[in-house]
Amino acid sequence: MSRNLVELIRRHHAVEAPTALEVLKAAMDDHGELTDADRERAAALSGLPEAAVFGVSTFYDDLLAPRGERHVRVCTGTACFAAAGDAPVARLSADLGIAPGERAEDRSVSLAETVCLGFCHSSPAVRVGEVVDAGPGALDRAVSGETRPAPEPDWESVLPEPVLTRPGGWHGLRRALDTLGRERLLAEVEAAEVRGRGGAGFPAGAKWSFAAKAAGPEKFIVANGDEGDPGSYIDKYLMERSPELLLEGMALAGFAVGAAHGFVLCRSEYPLSKPALELEAARAREEGLLGTGILGTDFDFDVTIIEGAGSYVVGEETALLACVQGLRGTVSARPPFPAERGIYGMPTVVNNVETLCNIPFVAARGAEAYRALSPDTETAGSKLVCFNERFARPSVYEVPFGMTVRELCEDVAGGLAGGAEIKAVQIGGPLGGILPASLLDTRFDFEPLAAVGCMVGHGSILAFDQATDMREVARHLLRFGAEESCGKCFPCRIGLRRAHEEFATDAPVDRARLEELLEALELGSLCAHGGGMPAPLRSLLTHFPEELGLR
Amino acid sequence: MTTVSVDGVEVEVAAGTTILEAAQLAGRWVPTVCYDERQAPFGACRVCMVGVVGSPKPLPACTTPCRDGMEIETEEPTARRVSRAVVELVLSELPEAPAPHTELAQVAERLAVGEPRWGGAVHRRDDDLRHPYLALRHELCISCGRCVRACDEVQGAFALTATGRGFEANIAAGLDAGFEESSCVSCGACADTCPTDAISEISLVKRLKGA
Amino acid sequence: MAIAIPTDVKTSDERFDRTATTTCGYCGVGCRLETRASGGRIVSIGPALDGPANEGHTCLKGRFAHGFTRSPDRLRTPLIREDGELRPATWEEALDRIVAELERIKGAHGADALAGLASSRATNEDCYAMTRLMRAAVGTNNIDNCSRVCHSPTSFALRKSFGLSGATGSFTDLDQAEVALLLGVNPTQGHPVVGARIKQAALRGCKLITIDPRRIELADYGQVHLAPRPGTNAAVVLGLCHVVRRDGMLDEGFIAARTEGYEALEELLAGYDPQAVEEVTGIPAADLEAAAHLYGEAGSGSLLWGLGVTEHKYGSEVVQLLCNLAMMTGKVGKPGSALLPLRGQNNVQGSSDMGALPDTYTAYRSVEDEEVAASFEAAWGAPLSRRKGLTIPQMFDAAVAGELKAMYIFGEDIAQTDPDTAHVIAALESLEFVVCQEIFPNETTKFADVVLPASAFLEKEGTFINAERRFQIVEPAIDPPGEARTDFEIIGEVCRRLGHETGWRSPWDALDEIARLTPEYAGVSRARLGRQGLQWPVRPDGTDSPTLYDTVFDRPGGRGHFAALPYKAPGDAADQDFPLILVTGRILQHYNAGTMTRRTGNATLVDRDLLEIHPLDAERLWVKDGDRVSVRSRVGRIEIEAKVTERIEPGHVFTTFHFPETRTNLLVGQSADVNTSCPEYKVIAVDVRPMSEEPAFIPVVADVS
Repeated sequence: MSRNLVELIRRHHAVEAPTALEVLKAAMDDHGELTDADRERAAALSGLPEAAVFGVSTFYDDLLAPRGERHVRVCTGTACFAAAGDAPVARLSADLGIAPGERAEDRSVSLAETVCLGFCHSSPAVRVGEVVDAGPGALDRAVSGETRPAPEPDWESVLPEPVLTRPGGWHGLRRALDTLGRERLLAEVEAAEVRGRGGAGFPAGAKWSFAAKAAGPEKFIVANGDEGDPGSYIDKYLMERSPELLLEGMALAGFAVGAAHGFVLCRSEYPLSKPALELEAARAREEGLLGTGILGTDFDFDVTIIEGAGSYVVGEETALLACVQGLRGTVSARPPFPAERGIYGMPTVVNNVETLCNIPFVAARGAEAYRALSPDTETAGSKLVCFNERFARPSVYEVPFGMTVRELCEDVAGGLAGGAEIKAVQIGGPLGGILPASLLDTRFDFEPLAAVGCMVGHGSILAFDQATDMREVARHLLRFGAEESCGKCFPCRIGLRRAHEEFATDAPVDRARLEELLEALELGSLCAHGGGMPAPLRSLLTHFPEELGLR
Repeated sequence: MTTVSVDGVEVEVAAGTTILEAAQLAGRWVPTVCYDERQAPFGACRVCMVGVVGSPKPLPACTTPCRDGMEIETEEPTARRVSRAVVELVLSELPEAPAPHTELAQVAERLAVGEPRWGGAVHRRDDDLRHPYLALRHELCISCGRCVRACDEVQGAFALTATGRGFEANIAAGLDAGFEESSCVSCGACADTCPTDAISEISLVKRLKGA
Repeated sequence: MAIAIPTDVKTSDERFDRTATTTCGYCGVGCRLETRASGGRIVSIGPALDGPANEGHTCLKGRFAHGFTRSPDRLRTPLIREDGELRPATWEEALDRIVAELERIKGAHGADALAGLASSRATNEDCYAMTRLMRAAVGTNNIDNCSRVCHSPTSFALRKSFGLSGATGSFTDLDQAEVALLLGVNPTQGHPVVGARIKQAALRGCKLITIDPRRIELADYGQVHLAPRPGTNAAVVLGLCHVVRRDGMLDEGFIAARTEGYEALEELLAGYDPQAVEEVTGIPAADLEAAAHLYGEAGSGSLLWGLGVTEHKYGSEVVQLLCNLAMMTGKVGKPGSALLPLRGQNNVQGSSDMGALPDTYTAYRSVEDEEVAASFEAAWGAPLSRRKGLTIPQMFDAAVAGELKAMYIFGEDIAQTDPDTAHVIAALESLEFVVCQEIFPNETTKFADVVLPASAFLEKEGTFINAERRFQIVEPAIDPPGEARTDFEIIGEVCRRLGHETGWRSPWDALDEIARLTPEYAGVSRARLGRQGLQWPVRPDGTDSPTLYDTVFDRPGGRGHFAALPYKAPGDAADQDFPLILVTGRILQHYNAGTMTRRTGNATLVDRDLLEIHPLDAERLWVKDGDRVSVRSRVGRIEIEAKVTERIEPGHVFTTFHFPETRTNLLVGQSADVNTSCPEYKVIAVDVRPMSEEPAFIPVVADVS
């Protein structure tokens, strides 16, 4: 991230300027395409140079596809792929008479692909305007213009006392302000060993204490709500069903590290998240839980809700910070870490939404109670998992760490619908390994999953049934990987393209050369996108080599 | 002060010194493509991978700070394998081999990376020769970010940007209507730093193409 | 261009057959350049990574504007005037004619009827040779150089206040300064590499105060911008000093221990409260106070100025006032606290340091100083005049008065660049004999009797001194074209033919002589300069001086001098007939008279001078963007295209002087700095009106072509 561009934004920020990305998004919403006049306006309003604005305008999906009166976005996420392969895109393209990324000449309709609308429980999913429809008949309705909002199943908890799947009550913040104080709160969070729920599993307490110690006239809290992993809709549920839990978690983070402002970056693919958070933030302000002098103390904290614009890699923390500031969502080398230089160059804590939602419990009940939530393992706290449409009872469930994947799939989610058999499950998103049916007894926890080339990741459990062609899975994942590469580091930018090209035709794949490429991606990539995309490929090479067409 | 060894040569460096800077102090060569000493380290090309004893995987020399007692191996086999694989990938995206005088060609030669074995897509030819001094040949751009950073961190004209993403990533001046229509001050720092001649002096391009 | 290649990988580049490392010959920043040539032509120029002033960067002039060196217009053979026309001639003919005429005039009217101009564009050795030609071979102190029309006030004032005539620090001070105050200087246009450095410093947190009638680009990166009425700089600086004193930001220890004359200044400052200053300058009192606090409260601060300070009637006094401000706050002689005059031309510093002035030998030692004069007499083996010579404006007056009969003009187009063009032309017409030593035919060569084809900076060797007092080596990238010769060679030859043998085999012999005869440069030698150069004073052991005055000033008693100089109105003022104030200056793409840059691709980027005018004035005068307008001053009139912009304040207009067809300097009168005669290019009362309101465009001076 350019220090100078950040500095230019920081100076402009003093006048409450919108970001360039916000101005460009508004222009797209207003007239369905971007003109140079829009870019010039975005530059003037945001303080970003025109060239940088141009760069932004060529980065995000939402700014690229021209929009007609009816803008149809068809989900190409992995859950929808597991359900119907590439058929939804082909179907809509044929019926609407336009290819993805195109707009009808009369501007009546436009079609675009989108990666994961978070309706993985009822694929195929399609969004028309602000309405997401999903499940049987959704594509027909998208063509005929009769789209209706798809229902979403309720979340459930298998814990005796749910922590995340229940309404929040701001008890944690009250206790922190009344009795704990800054130091003890920080100590509790460190003692609770809250591991990041966004994929990397980094201890939240350590991030907080770096930021608390870092010097800076201002500090910021950023909630990473960019749940881009296809197949995952956990953070969506949290942001839309328990926004108060997230806001309380952010306020606690702010209190602990000395930040007075927070940002939530939620995905534009989840059109309901931002309104839900804004509504809750307004209510919290009215009740004195956000704003100045919170609960009669001298603690000030408020939040701004920002919506992304269609980019998977923005889920990576440095890219996320770039996006929050309206820049291109590309990854930056660390150090410097966000805890040192984040928003406007100031110390910043970046935590995943689910991670922050864990904090109110820790603050209210203490580290001991939190660690006791998963009695069968060392890992602390509970975890939300979610299942795709192939399952009999797909939804979000709160579970303890340490159950086996089989228990989760069969006992919690009811096995596959219609008695179908699991061929493999991908856990934790596209960067997670793929577990063949034979390994379903692996425990769902950080270390046991890592031992079989998988990860907890976001917590999505995405099943492929026996009808799935695993070479198609490889092709699907690599296409996603190549298209979502931010373009910053060479191995990912070029390597994922080459890997996808290997699988894009029916020609046999040179295994030795592929493995060389996977090594360069794993060891060379700047972030977990290029570094993680080989994981499912490695799983497939190990467990399904005969299906990949290797030579 | 921090002491590290680079291929057995001990050097003392100030806190915050990167492995690459330490290697240079020790007189050891580390291949780089996106690095320019006039700019902040960027960490994009991943060609500067080196081995560090005790590290499970190679580390990028340009962005990794030295720690006391670090034992750095510039030619550690895994690191070198990654560097070579990445250089081969970069060569594979160009529609023609980079000219022999370019930094990329010289790094490839030194790493003994020949003709890339990858087929597949290459950058589309798109030459902008409108400026009196600067030629922009998009097909040679490898998105190393050096020109954009030169314009930002050295000149402060902010006339260049990275564009697109993934394999389609490239660069543009201003709103992509050429250098003259942008905030470019024609300082040429971009051409000076470009490792592939994607931005170069137009007189040199004409010599290349004309006679 | 690939750089940052590890040296052991660098292979020889088959595209070039000759490379050199030299010093840029455009502005005074002194960028070190790597030149690459092939087949006798420059193919490419890049910055030297280890250039101390440019650190691997350069601007479009240094990098790209080299095509003029092989322009078809280059003078490739000597020319002599015959039957009123210049015709090609041999060197023998040309030199014979010069020697004959100079000797005839000297014989008839005495040596003081001859005058010579050295050039701030030329090397130190060229300038020094020129002084030897005039002083020893001809026998007069009538030698001056074009710093007269730009930074002579700086030179004068710094000597008065601090002792030495040069920047007190280096450009690297800008990287450490907490605050930088820029007065009458627009570095991103005029000194682009320093401009870029300041912009980066500002983005890293250095606070900028910009003071200029125009909202310069750096103002957008700064904290406070002050836009004074042209010609009121003195009031602004006195106002800043007033607030610094009033609000307790003085460094009293510094004042007591290291300065003299503060009491008189303090008395004077009482009259410059911000309200009074607002009356004079138009700067809101609160803005002036904010600026004073930014500078006064900072732990370190640097001052930069340019021709917007010097090219005024009281320009030298404003520089003295700036020195006051620095001394009051103790911001001189420390890291981050430097006074940095940005010199317009590559060797403004050197040409004067070398004694190409009518009153001094090298290092500003007076021609009246018996000991110094005797040392040069001994070295040169010729009797030397103890009488001060004429400055450039005095030369013109003397020519018109019939007292000056001949001029040897080296590297200056006085008919285009000097003020009051009509008077300059009258002077040229009055002379009996004019020699121009040039690289291109220009407005002045139209009056020459002999024109000698000389060399551009890329074709010669020697040294320049940049705005940091840094001697840097100049190496030839290519050879001069045709029969053209290096200036050093030509001047040496003229000396020889006038009967004065210099004994120099190359400019390096001259440099050694300079070092031998000048204590301040004693340790300078080609070998010691190397790639990094040396900042004078240079001790005999080669130790140089990046920072001056860290302990004492170079004045009697070692104390800095506070000058109690009040604000006085500029030489010109707007009135009913001439209601707007014209300020002139240069732009990024072109360089001064444009002799070089107009013959390069830079002319594609900018192909004309424009008159900047505020929208309010434009509307009132019925002028639209792009209209041709007539601009009339008390002495002349030009026609030019208008550019409507808010960068300029209402009541002011701005233009450049790069294109001879505009002839901007026709508008400039004879008002000049009271101490140094530097012309007041920056305050010209004018009347602007659409061309449609003018009956016809009648040139004020007769067509001289």
